[in-house]
Amino acid sequence: MRGSRPLSLLLLVLAVIFALAAVFYFTTKTSFLASGPPAIHFKHAIVFTVLTLLAVVAANFARPKSIQA
Amino acid sequence: MLSAGLILFLAALQGVTELFPVSSLGHAVVVPPLIGLNFRETSPAFVPVLAILHLGTAAALLFLYRRDWARIIVGFFRAAVRGRISDPDERLAIMLIVGTVPTGIIGFLLQDPLKSLFGDPRAASVFLIVNGGILFAAEMFRRRDERRRATGGAQVLAHEEDDPAYERVEGLSLRTTVIVGVFQAGALLPGISRSGITMAAGLVAGLRHEEAARFSFLLATPIILAAGLLEVPTLGSDAPTLLVAVAAAVVAGLVAYASARFLLRYLRLGRLDPFAYYCAALGAAGLVLIH
Repeated sequence: MRGSRPLSLLLLVLAVIFALAAVFYFTTKTSFLASGPPAIHFKHAIVFTVLTLLAVVAANFARPKSIQA
Repeated sequence: MLSAGLILFLAALQGVTELFPVSSLGHAVVVPPLIGLNFRETSPAFVPVLAILHLGTAAALLFLYRRDWARIIVGFFRAAVRGRISDPDERLAIMLIVGTVPTGIIGFLLQDPLKSLFGDPRAASVFLIVNGGILFAAEMFRRRDERRRATGGAQVLAHEEDDPAYERVEGLSLRTTVIVGVFQAGALLPGISRSGITMAAGLVAGLRHEEAARFSFLLATPIILAAGLLEVPTLGSDAPTLLVAVAAAVVAGLVAYASARFLLRYLRLGRLDPFAYYCAALGAAGLVLIH
């Protein structure tokens, strides 16, 4: 697969957004995108943490690779 | 709080039905009212029980495929660091992630509207009949493919493992894996089986029966494990005592392990049709007998 720098950058931006969302859900009592009264939503935080890691891995796959001898 | 006897019954039911292509959720919704048990899937006391049963089932699957998982995890880290896939283990690791993400995202986004269906045994009965139809259709497609190959002059072997026309999991394309992953999201509906829908998709994609089951079990493991682990922080006063929880997890795990071993052995020669007829019959019984 040939790499794509714009796609790689896009995935990194996505990773940063997911990471911010994870920090938000770990630290803030909220009902944003969640059911029930405002609370710390660990499930949301863990899901966004996993998505952050996957986006970083995907960005690494998408980046152009140097040709090996 | 649910009684210890009921929890152990649900553990055995979960262990059998989670891996057989017959929908554990559909059974948990339809079977209790059918046999006169005063229990509803929507009961708040069931959530911690379900989380514990999921952990037991996931442990059984991890143990069953422990060598595969060791290679898959090492393969994932190798591929993730290098940013490229260079061997079958790395490929399988990426396939499992690609196949799991659609269900994870769809399930996470739709969990609340889907939970409203958990209290409706008649809706689950209809989905059980649909599940039977999916299994039956997958086998029909496979038979048609075998007939087409036979009329084309190709030799169709009795043992699929000897037949080069049908693939191992590692031979699937990433695009097919995404499609199977999206199909897996259908199992969020009570009555549609996760293992059934992924086995059916695997068969249609050209996997051998046993490999379709292996792929289904490997794909199911992260989802089942996550379903259990994500509920752990919410375990509260409704959680059963530690002794009952451990017993339930062990029962669910042992029954799931035996079910998986049986199914893999059965699918070396057998087909999914009996499960299709069973689902259709249970769904019909639910529609007729539950009011």
